[in-house]
Amino acid sequence: MGLELVSNLMEVFTAEDPMAFQHPDGDPWADFREIMRIEWKMDFTYKHVLGKYSKFFIELTNKKFVTTECPGCGKVWAIPRPLCADCLTITKWKELPGTGTLESYSISNFVPSFMKVDIPYVLAMVKLDGADTLFTHQLRNYGDSTDTIKTGMPVKVAYATEPVGHPMLLMHFEPA
Amino acid sequence: MEILEKKRRVYVLGGGISKFAAERTDGNMRDWINESVLEGLEDSGTKIADIEHSTTSYFSDHFDKQLKAGAIFHDNIGMCPKPNVRVEGGGGTGGLAIRNAYAYIMSGLCDSMIVFGSENMGRQVPSDVAQQFIALASDTDWEVQVAGFYIAYYAIMMVTHMERYGTTEEQFATISVKNHRNAMYNPKAHYPMEISVDDVMNSKMITYPYKLLDNCLLSDGAACLVFSTEDWAKKHSASWGKKPTIELTGTGCGTDFMRMADRPFPYPGITHFRGKRTGAEMAYKMAGVKNPREDFDCFEVHDAYSGVELVSYEDLGFCKEGEGGKLAEKGVFDLGGDLPTNTSGGLIGFGHPVGATGVGQGVEVLRQLRQEAHPKRQVELNSKRGGMDSHGGTGTFCAINVFERRD
Repeated sequence: MGLELVSNLMEVFTAEDPMAFQHPDGDPWADFREIMRIEWKMDFTYKHVLGKYSKFFIELTNKKFVTTECPGCGKVWAIPRPLCADCLTITKWKELPGTGTLESYSISNFVPSFMKVDIPYVLAMVKLDGADTLFTHQLRNYGDSTDTIKTGMPVKVAYATEPVGHPMLLMHFEPA
Repeated sequence: MEILEKKRRVYVLGGGISKFAAERTDGNMRDWINESVLEGLEDSGTKIADIEHSTTSYFSDHFDKQLKAGAIFHDNIGMCPKPNVRVEGGGGTGGLAIRNAYAYIMSGLCDSMIVFGSENMGRQVPSDVAQQFIALASDTDWEVQVAGFYIAYYAIMMVTHMERYGTTEEQFATISVKNHRNAMYNPKAHYPMEISVDDVMNSKMITYPYKLLDNCLLSDGAACLVFSTEDWAKKHSASWGKKPTIELTGTGCGTDFMRMADRPFPYPGITHFRGKRTGAEMAYKMAGVKNPREDFDCFEVHDAYSGVELVSYEDLGFCKEGEGGKLAEKGVFDLGGDLPTNTSGGLIGFGHPVGATGVGQGVEVLRQLRQEAHPKRQVELNSKRGGMDSHGGTGTFCAINVFERRD
């Protein structure tokens, strides 16, 4: 058949049409159901710049939680922004104590496998002391049961002690 | 925002849907677009040679590893050398594409526009890769590493809704039951099913409070709509005056911070869709809608998860904050209720081929207002007005459009 000439061929098959197309001539796609499927491999690695909030990640390696305060309106964005989104003033770095309370959370019994985390997985939204907005990260070390997790409970930033695959993973939350 | 004097008006001449299904190996996005366009042209009684402009609606360049896919769709349906523009707003892309038709036609840039949308939702890549592609629609520096899955955020929103208003899991399970049931009477739907609240409650827990059957599915498929002015339609649409006349009378768009963590309290906090309220207010003002629950006969709501539809009732102004659960339970939004929602089946029952989803919502509202829907899902016409709401992210981009029948 000559199909062996196609080195990335996966299959040639007769496709099932999930719904016949309404057409005055009957089934207009009758001669269009032979389908070829090929394998197409793409592989990328990005050289990713983290932008003007890079200091946040750099300070995590020093076990410090820094964010930005707006000298114009005073707002402290828990997730740092070089430009205050409320008043467009250029912000200043500020260190926070890394303590706070659990505003809300979700417990997942399934996560996409690319995340490489244990389940149940607890995603926490935390109101950090000294910040006006929330910060999102994983809650770990909550004990044997997720039943101990309650909205309003005190939590703190904990820092990685093992090498991590992304600077965001240099921290997580734990019960305080 | 100035309400333009209606020297020009925008009419919805027709629409087409290429079947929403889990995995369509019978072709690819171009083939499905072609199919929906053929149906849309037939329905609108128009010829592609006469249509002046197109808008492409698709969300992901990754799923089909094809940049500029819009240019291909546009040339496949014989639109070259006429103008095309692509819009993108995540899950709200289709809703924005309809809004784009309004803007282009009202401004006089063109008198007619064909809008087509499709998505190939990742069956071509392993599910884990598809999840990573979708995760790229959240903030890649701050969110993907800690929550590369939308359900975790939507679950947080719903937990806060339950804590604040006493909403129950059973209440939003009824929405999933309704949408799967409505899809039974939509032959183009991906996931028609007769199920009970117990079936939803007993399905696999994914992220509390959402079970498997509270979620919408990724679908393949395409949808198309044709818009024009009255003068253009009189000249070029063979069905003008023969089918009920449907006008696009209002369009709104709203946004919120990409990251839920940045959203202000108390409203929307991490509970509500502020962008939806903003967009709805705009669209309602344009269309003269005062009391949405009475002033609409049907509404397609962006039900990415059953609870999202419940919260949307409140932010779209169908009821007060916190009332969505009780009203859903009472059947207010069922067929035969005060305001039937997602008569097509919605994202949960009809399906969610992202770029086609909002356009498909528009096709459903068109069918309802023309009284062409299957008798078992056809609503009763009173106000002769229908709405649609579609959003991307966690309500990050919201588009709301209002259609009205003019007899």
